[in-house]
Amino acid sequence: MQIKTVVLTIFMLVAVTASAVQSVSAQGNAALDRAKVLRAAGDALGMIRWSDIGAGGTRLPAIDIANTMEFVGSGTSYSSGQTFKTDYHVTLGYNPPAMRVEMNRTGGGAPQHVIQTVRENFAWNESEIGAGLVAGKGTATPATAALRERLLQLWTLPYGVVKAALVAGEKTTVSSENGSTVITFPLNGQLAGLTVRATLDAKNFVTKVEVKPDNAALANLAFETEYSGYADHGEILTDIQSPGRIVQKQGGRTVLDIQIKTWESNNPYLIFPVPPNVKTVANSR
Amino acid sequence: MPLSRYCRIMAVAAALCFLPAAVLAQEFSPIKRNNNAPPKPSGPTPRIADGHPDLTGVWNGLGDNLLGVPNQIANNGLSIESESVTRDLHSGALIATFPRNTTRPLNNEQSERAATLLRRVGSNKPIYKPEYWEMVKNLDHNSNEEDPSNNCMPAGIPRAGIPSYIGQFPNYFIFIYPGQGGLIATQTMYRMIPADGRKHTPLQDLDGTYTGEGIAHWEGDTLVVDTWGFTSNTWFDQLGGYFHSENMHVTERFHRDGNTLTWTATVEDPDVLLEPWTTTPRVALLNPRPGAMLPESQPCSERDLSHIVTKEHH
Repeated sequence: MQIKTVVLTIFMLVAVTASAVQSVSAQGNAALDRAKVLRAAGDALGMIRWSDIGAGGTRLPAIDIANTMEFVGSGTSYSSGQTFKTDYHVTLGYNPPAMRVEMNRTGGGAPQHVIQTVRENFAWNESEIGAGLVAGKGTATPATAALRERLLQLWTLPYGVVKAALVAGEKTTVSSENGSTVITFPLNGQLAGLTVRATLDAKNFVTKVEVKPDNAALANLAFETEYSGYADHGEILTDIQSPGRIVQKQGGRTVLDIQIKTWESNNPYLIFPVPPNVKTVANSR
Repeated sequence: MPLSRYCRIMAVAAALCFLPAAVLAQEFSPIKRNNNAPPKPSGPTPRIADGHPDLTGVWNGLGDNLLGVPNQIANNGLSIESESVTRDLHSGALIATFPRNTTRPLNNEQSERAATLLRRVGSNKPIYKPEYWEMVKNLDHNSNEEDPSNNCMPAGIPRAGIPSYIGQFPNYFIFIYPGQGGLIATQTMYRMIPADGRKHTPLQDLDGTYTGEGIAHWEGDTLVVDTWGFTSNTWFDQLGGYFHSENMHVTERFHRDGNTLTWTATVEDPDVLLEPWTTTPRVALLNPRPGAMLPESQPCSERDLSHIVTKEHH
């Protein structure tokens, strides 16, 4: 009886150990898959790079080189119940996270020229580029209520998706759905409570990004964006692949459909200083 | 003699034979690195009779081509500290870092394009007045034609960075910047900088020059070189189209710690900048060779510009 008990105990210990080993192994595979998928997505976009020019004996690892970008396109946008012909000019950066969207809208009443800017915890509208930084040069109007929506536009661009998924670490999961690889991860900071679901195509390009709120209070931030026509769209070629078309939908309605003309990925000189009055308003909240 | 003992003696003898070669190789071969983090100081800081640090020396001891991508990345403010950690020294942000994809060797074109991106990732950018944002961007975009240091012109101050040689004398310093090829092809520059307590010449009385009128003084153990009187025909950093006016005022700080020299430059130019801009600190390593000398600069002769047909940077 005692022998049976000992044998049974050993058997159970072996089984538990084997199970634990399998579990660790499975976690290892999951982590490996996640790393491989994110690396593949970053490589497809051309954002993970190294170079040995003049490096002598130094061999550096590869790093994420995507920081500032500028793109120009045209198409349509939907606002306040109307669809406009839209000229679209975006400048952005990830260090610090910032984005300036300039739109010229026509075809739905009086022409509109809007400049919507966000940087970290600050959002504001500009009457002209760089308004509010020099006395007498335009007006900067705080737009704190638009902060999350604007940050979301930055982090749901293909490069933002890869960066944010890497930051989410082990909270990022990868899966295969209907033959496509899907990356799912939670956003953090100002965007906490939102989950991103990004679909990759066979070339590992981000082709669809869906934002899903975790609660009803964030329901207005639910949208999906489709990216297609990837190529190096810069005048200065960088081997960074950028989308040729962006289509964004909210509640099934197309709110943005832009054909890209140029996308400069050469880390151009783009800055987003926060106007003093915007800082004051934000800090007083 | 037992065989094992014989083997041990032979092994020790062989090791002794190869040791000097190994030591020599370690001392004189280029440093092998997998990072571009600032070098850590070692050894004492030598001092002159009045107690101030002695900055004299050849400050090119890193072992790599100082114009190479690793140093350009460092000058841009990114410290690649290991195979998995890269830090933007200005913002503190971590930059995602990956092993190289060894299944995809780079050809020359890919290496050039990657280099162009790698040396401009950093976040430390001067804040120009908004009316100049497009101008700076366009100068950078068209830098093959617009860069004033092309065609072998002097880089100017502070674009030239840390001098490769510093000579320290009781009342003045000599800085030497050898001519460079590569990213910015420039001619050799030198500066003779008084440290005798004199005041600046009034700005309106100075003809603008590439190196300006520099005057040095000590603040504790830090040598401060205060310079104005520049021509506007230079850019003030290696990249970026960062033009300036003739009213630019540059304050450089040199701090020696053991065998390292840390340098920063602060640029003030209220004509074009919204606020002063300070470079990310750069750290040079003293050349470890006894009696190190500067090699003769190669003659600068620009023959490539007329053949460049794209806007890609080289």
